[in-house]
Amino acid sequence: MKAKIGLEIHVQLSEAGSKLFCDCDSEYRKYPPNRNVCPVCLGLPGALPVPSKRALTLALAAAKAFNCKIPERIVFTRKHYFYPDLPKNYQITQFEKVGGAPVCLGGYVEFLNTDTWEWVRVGIRRVNLEEDPGRTYYEGDILTSRYALVDFNRSGVPLLEIVTEPDVRSPREARLLVEYILLTLEYIGATNPRLEGVFRVDANVSVEGGERVEVKNIGSTLDVEKALKYEIGRQTMIVERGGKVERETRHWDAARGVTKPLRYKEEEAEYLYFPDPDLPPVRVTEDLLAEASKTASRSPKAIFETVRKLGVKREIAWSIVSSPPAADRFLEAVRLGGDPQVLARMVGVDYKGELRERGLDPNDPSRWPPAKTLTELAKLVSTGEYTYDSIKGLVLPRLAENPGVEVKAVLPEKVSDIDSLVEEVLKREVKAVRDYLSGKKKALNYLVGAVMRAARGRALDPREARKRLMERLESMKEPQGEG
Amino acid sequence: MRKLKTAYELVEAYRNGSLDPVEHAWRVIEEIGRWEGRVNAYITLEAPEAIIIQAEEARERYRRGEHRPLEGVLVAVKDNISTSFMPTTAASRMLEKYIPPFNATVVERLVRAGAIVVGKTNMDEFAMGSTSEFSAFGPVRNPWDLERVPGGSSGGSAACLAYGGCDLSLGSDTGGSIRLPAAYTATVGIKPTYGLVSRYGLIPYGNSLEQIGPMARSVKDAALLLEVIGGWDPRDSTSLRIDPPKLSNLEPLEPGEASLCVPREMVEGSEEPVAKVFWNLMGKLESEGFEVLEASLPEVSKALPAYYIIALAEAASNLARYDGGLYPREDVEAGDYWRHVAEARARGFGWEVKKRIVLGSYALSEGYRDEYYIAATKVRRLVRDAVLRLARKCIIASPAAPILPPRLGERITDPLLLYAMDVYTVVANLAGVPALAMPAGFSQGLPVGVQFMAYRLGEDLLVRLGLTVEEMTGLRGVAAGEG
Repeated sequence: MKAKIGLEIHVQLSEAGSKLFCDCDSEYRKYPPNRNVCPVCLGLPGALPVPSKRALTLALAAAKAFNCKIPERIVFTRKHYFYPDLPKNYQITQFEKVGGAPVCLGGYVEFLNTDTWEWVRVGIRRVNLEEDPGRTYYEGDILTSRYALVDFNRSGVPLLEIVTEPDVRSPREARLLVEYILLTLEYIGATNPRLEGVFRVDANVSVEGGERVEVKNIGSTLDVEKALKYEIGRQTMIVERGGKVERETRHWDAARGVTKPLRYKEEEAEYLYFPDPDLPPVRVTEDLLAEASKTASRSPKAIFETVRKLGVKREIAWSIVSSPPAADRFLEAVRLGGDPQVLARMVGVDYKGELRERGLDPNDPSRWPPAKTLTELAKLVSTGEYTYDSIKGLVLPRLAENPGVEVKAVLPEKVSDIDSLVEEVLKREVKAVRDYLSGKKKALNYLVGAVMRAARGRALDPREARKRLMERLESMKEPQGEG
Repeated sequence: MRKLKTAYELVEAYRNGSLDPVEHAWRVIEEIGRWEGRVNAYITLEAPEAIIIQAEEARERYRRGEHRPLEGVLVAVKDNISTSFMPTTAASRMLEKYIPPFNATVVERLVRAGAIVVGKTNMDEFAMGSTSEFSAFGPVRNPWDLERVPGGSSGGSAACLAYGGCDLSLGSDTGGSIRLPAAYTATVGIKPTYGLVSRYGLIPYGNSLEQIGPMARSVKDAALLLEVIGGWDPRDSTSLRIDPPKLSNLEPLEPGEASLCVPREMVEGSEEPVAKVFWNLMGKLESEGFEVLEASLPEVSKALPAYYIIALAEAASNLARYDGGLYPREDVEAGDYWRHVAEARARGFGWEVKKRIVLGSYALSEGYRDEYYIAATKVRRLVRDAVLRLARKCIIASPAAPILPPRLGERITDPLLLYAMDVYTVVANLAGVPALAMPAGFSQGLPVGVQFMAYRLGEDLLVRLGLTVEEMTGLRGVAAGEG
């Protein structure tokens, strides 16, 4: 059954350096509880918020990347609700009404559907820049816990709320869209999507003939797909049985893989919105916009197109683009004169594969060798000095262990005495030689393998080995012919 | 009636060695001992030994010629201004034991200027009141007539000046909270231009309206104190990016340099004795050669309701944070979160505060917001524009309050009567312009105050006019009690 899906994606600007309105750290995970706090993010009376320029720039860069209409003045709004981890009992956020003005008043994003290789456009309704609340820990379960422990380390971390139009057509596309948006923010330098709890997704979903249901608390891109599949299935079944899908809010239970109705009734929200009088409207100056544009200049789509123009196959191109450090190294290595095809394979397929095999993060820039290393390797292949396979098999694994190492240090010794290796193998592999000479051509492959093994990690072109072997074997045939 | 040394005269005397800071400190401590039991101007007093130790340090500095602008001057600080070395209660049970982990910017500047903080002054709870009767620590009484109120909410800061319990004091003015007490106690108070003085550390009531301001027994003293506390503070986004004002060495205003105007609407509702003293002063100014014009500000009639809606909306929001969590109360038993919050707020807040939270929430709530909050912000713009237009032409003069200081209990039973006391003062807060209140004379032994308003950052003009008026009234340094 056809479904309409709209998403609300909350992403922390974990790379902003500071919290949204104070100097505490935006990356709060490394601190013991309540140690990344100050009077401002604890909301102590009289402490005042001062907007971080970096967070504003990153939010505006995101608005640029999502092709947004940006207001002349950004206004912060207070949204009131009582919750133990919300120290002021209001959140400083943005709102499009009551004199408010969010960083983005509407735009769109085009993401790549890597199943169909089509660019799909989804409307962005708005983007808000707001402060994250603290965290509440319960002993066991929220309903049975006798007390709650509150940690304010996260309180005030800049958070982007990205609200899409209900344009998303399937759970799969929802997942790809979220991945694309996260990748866009990673390119901007706004967030590290792999940090624990750095983003959360709420999804609004309806099937034909039913009301809209909100599914909250989705914490991974895989779960976006799973939760929506489950929810659409559930709603479809209700409609097919002649029932009615009620408007409600449900909770995604990732452990069980089901959506569940909230156990308490959500009351009609009364947030008492009004512009925060402690924060004068922020004028979006030419300078601020120029800086945001500069920050947003690297988009996955633009880079994908650049890579494709170099003649790289789309699958490999996407693999490169989906890891920003890979894309950076690739483009720089091409600029330094490396062959794009060789580099694309090296960066997008084999080096990335080496990192994955080791359980290392291919999006972590420190896992990547400098571009000049990659150019050097590509040149060795292009000039025929080494085969791609020997670089792949002998060099890339060592680089993955130690990306900073000099090429010289990891370059395998080349076999200079190929003839003696051939002789050694011919002498040892008497049976295979006999087989070949008696017409079993397959024995040649075995013999090539034996020569390669005899090279013991030194670089040797298997084609060269085959050619030498053939020459020797043919020369062994001739006397027999005479006799 | 008697005359006490002004802070300016004190510093002169310290400097030329004719007075010892320690001797003066003892004298003030004695005054406090004599009066405080009846007046209740202070919530917290510094220990006499601690005051004397600081006075001894001041004496040393004078001896070495290393004295700072307020060296050895005893300053009282309103108890809604954060001090890390003394409790800061805002006269509320809710913050009975709260000691902020930081100093307000103005306190930092006071201390850096060599001032000695004598204590924290009594006030209406969270500055919500015009009489200083709504304090969890009991009402403040007017030293000029102990049956009467000293005005509010900075009543303690005014009363301690009026009986000689401090040399200077800090108040805060959201809708007249510095100027009403100044008028009722024959002291001088300035509500600075919005943004001239940092609000960092001021426990907020109506953020978009209020300013911390100086209170003193002379115009020059108030100017001196404003010079110390004014100027840009990067921790307050609403503070103006300007240097501290130069105010303490100004000459009295001469006729012809500026004219005065009296808006009909800002005097006609005054009680007979108030109007008489006020017009008498205007007559003197005229006879000195000043032009005193009649004017009209019809917008003033709407100012009071607009003011209260905005102030209470902001207050309801600001006071949401007091939920018994970060500011725990021992008399609230553990239990369900909502009950805990409700009980903490029920016990922690006084009746007037609760009333204002309810009214403010109502003004912001869905369905009423347009009719109240949004409408009030529109009226505010009208008032501001009208005031700015008039202030370009003349200094706006009016009585500071329409009535003589009321008796205790006389006004607080009828909220409309209570709120009407602020009718002349709220205009400056809505418009963000500076206003000076100072003694105009006496009626039946009770002080009557005059108010002057100027254009934004026109503090220098107000101070110069104040010096002129002070020469005419001869009330510089006046204090209650027998000399």
